[in-house]
Amino acid sequence: MKMMTRSGISLQRSYAAAGGNGESPGEFPFTRGRLASPHTQTAWIQRELAGEGDGCRTNQQIRYLLAHGQNGIDVIGDAPTQSLLDPDHALAREAVGTQGVSLCRKQDFLDLFKDVPFEHVSISSSAPAFLALSGLVLAAREAGFPLDRLRGSVLHGPLYTEDCSYAWHLPVEFRVRLALDSIEYCSQHMPKFHAYLEDTYFFSESGLSPAEEMALGFVQLRHLVRKLMARGVAVDSFAPRIAFLVNCGMDFFEEIAKIRATRRLYAKMMRDEFGATNPRSLSAAITSHTSGLSLTAQQPVNNVVRGAVQALALVLAGVQAVEVSAFDEAYRTPSQDAHIVALRTQQILELEAGVAKVLDPLGGSYFIESLTDQLETRIRARIDEIEAMGDLEALSASGFFGDIFHQAMEDAQLGLEKGEVPVVGVNVHAMAEKDDTLLRDIATAKIETWRGHTKKIEQFKRGRDIERLSERLDAVAVTVAGSENLIPAVIEALDASATMGEIATTMRRALGMPADIFDHPLPGRDTGAKNVA
Amino acid sequence: MSREFVALAIMGIDQHENGAVAVARVLREAQMKVEYLGKFQTPASVADKAIRQGADVVGISCHSWEYMCLVPQLLEELKARGSDIPVVIGGSVITPEDGEKMRQSGVAAVFTNSTDSNAVIECVRALSAARKRPDRPPGKAGCA
Repeated sequence: MKMMTRSGISLQRSYAAAGGNGESPGEFPFTRGRLASPHTQTAWIQRELAGEGDGCRTNQQIRYLLAHGQNGIDVIGDAPTQSLLDPDHALAREAVGTQGVSLCRKQDFLDLFKDVPFEHVSISSSAPAFLALSGLVLAAREAGFPLDRLRGSVLHGPLYTEDCSYAWHLPVEFRVRLALDSIEYCSQHMPKFHAYLEDTYFFSESGLSPAEEMALGFVQLRHLVRKLMARGVAVDSFAPRIAFLVNCGMDFFEEIAKIRATRRLYAKMMRDEFGATNPRSLSAAITSHTSGLSLTAQQPVNNVVRGAVQALALVLAGVQAVEVSAFDEAYRTPSQDAHIVALRTQQILELEAGVAKVLDPLGGSYFIESLTDQLETRIRARIDEIEAMGDLEALSASGFFGDIFHQAMEDAQLGLEKGEVPVVGVNVHAMAEKDDTLLRDIATAKIETWRGHTKKIEQFKRGRDIERLSERLDAVAVTVAGSENLIPAVIEALDASATMGEIATTMRRALGMPADIFDHPLPGRDTGAKNVA
Repeated sequence: MSREFVALAIMGIDQHENGAVAVARVLREAQMKVEYLGKFQTPASVADKAIRQGADVVGISCHSWEYMCLVPQLLEELKARGSDIPVVIGGSVITPEDGEKMRQSGVAAVFTNSTDSNAVIECVRALSAARKRPDRPPGKAGCA
């Protein structure tokens, strides 16, 4: 790509105040960008969320996207997967494969990643981290790909998972342990893998403001960092692979400032509070999804524009990866048509508009710098306020965070109804339902429940070596009761044909909880009650 | 007349709560009594709880297609228990065609993203009043 304007003005990689007094991209405190990367490097990782049906179907989606220029993979599990329920669970049956991919056993991951070029793409998963990580390890092992070269990420939200869409029905202390074990495991075996993606996206979809989103993200991140250091894990061994997955809504300039403020806050915090010294430990990698909450069922074509505007904000803010929530998001996980529109949006921004040629192009703007400073102050004040309230895990268990999210949901909806937040096609410039037809057929096309996959899982469960499987599940239980890292035990259980639902059930039992609040039976041991109420 | 009592729930493993939480607030602000039964409900659990608590109307929030299967099951569960509590549903995933299917299977009203709060309130009031005064069924005007 030519590094000059159409008029022939050649472009520097970045610009700064005259006299060289200002901060440059890639310099502490990294407000202006994580790296002073050369022009030749890929501008940002472009990927779209893939997941429907079973592993084979989603593998087709992934290959389609890669064939059309995507250079990263982002997989989303279906609702049962997110909830640690197998497809044959009574409560899960109707939701198998409809809002993501069904992943409950080793074979599902082998199907999912079949012939995926591990060497050339990073693989991220929006699914329970300990499971996604274990499944990826098994798929890489099967492909003969060394773990220490795997790139990608898994996300963690242990303080907030039960309150926002991904309830695991496991206690907060144990969810925190699973996160720490995952991160520690990767720090030993997968140095190129972002073992800890602080996912502020999912909980901010409740409607949180950007400042509140990042404050809660930092609260959780700081908690996990402190806990890892208390375990004796050196901060510079895991911090280089911490990343953020942030939301990007419609408040264009504030979203840009949020990302700049986040990098600065993170750098200061890691250096001054946690004593990190490796420069990579101080510069936060930031990835983002454009906001699904901002997309509307009305006039779905408007969502294409929203995706483009939000993606532009993200690229101007200098993020490392972008996923544009597709125009059919109000109804479903992305269809092939919606996928290609979202991917092309990113490609047009990069290649035609050239918006990533210059790093931090808005740096030095009076407005952006002021917003960045003010957001930094607000986020920091809110972190301090929450941390002063006492033990975070106790706060989580008490429903403190759940109340924050519920309040945000109410406020977002009321703001919409009262017209305080204009949304085109909803509370302004609405259209009669009969006229609102553009792209509607594509947006509302349903994904049928994957009942055939559930049958396959039932057959699979009947045909297993129960003795070997039970041994490995017992090993999981022993590890839960002890203090060893859980990830190897989970990997070996999956390898011995255990399912995720069975592993979760085993964990609950070992913790002295009801085996499954929805009565999920273990193979060959008990049948469990059928009543799921 | 006594306050309208609405039991709101999400069935299956749909975990998108934004709509249910917002509707609960809207109805409470309209002086109704609202019991939010929460996520992870089944047709049987909703029927049991709504009857036991004496709800006038059951509201189901739908943000995954599970509702297409679970809502008719809920109607059956209520019928099996001899209950005539009306069921209303709402959610952005409900297309006009699917909403019509739900009405035909016995759902009393269908709300979408385009339904404004006042219409929801009026409809719930009308259904509730009709249930308390069976001689005066709700007019068309009351419900979507």
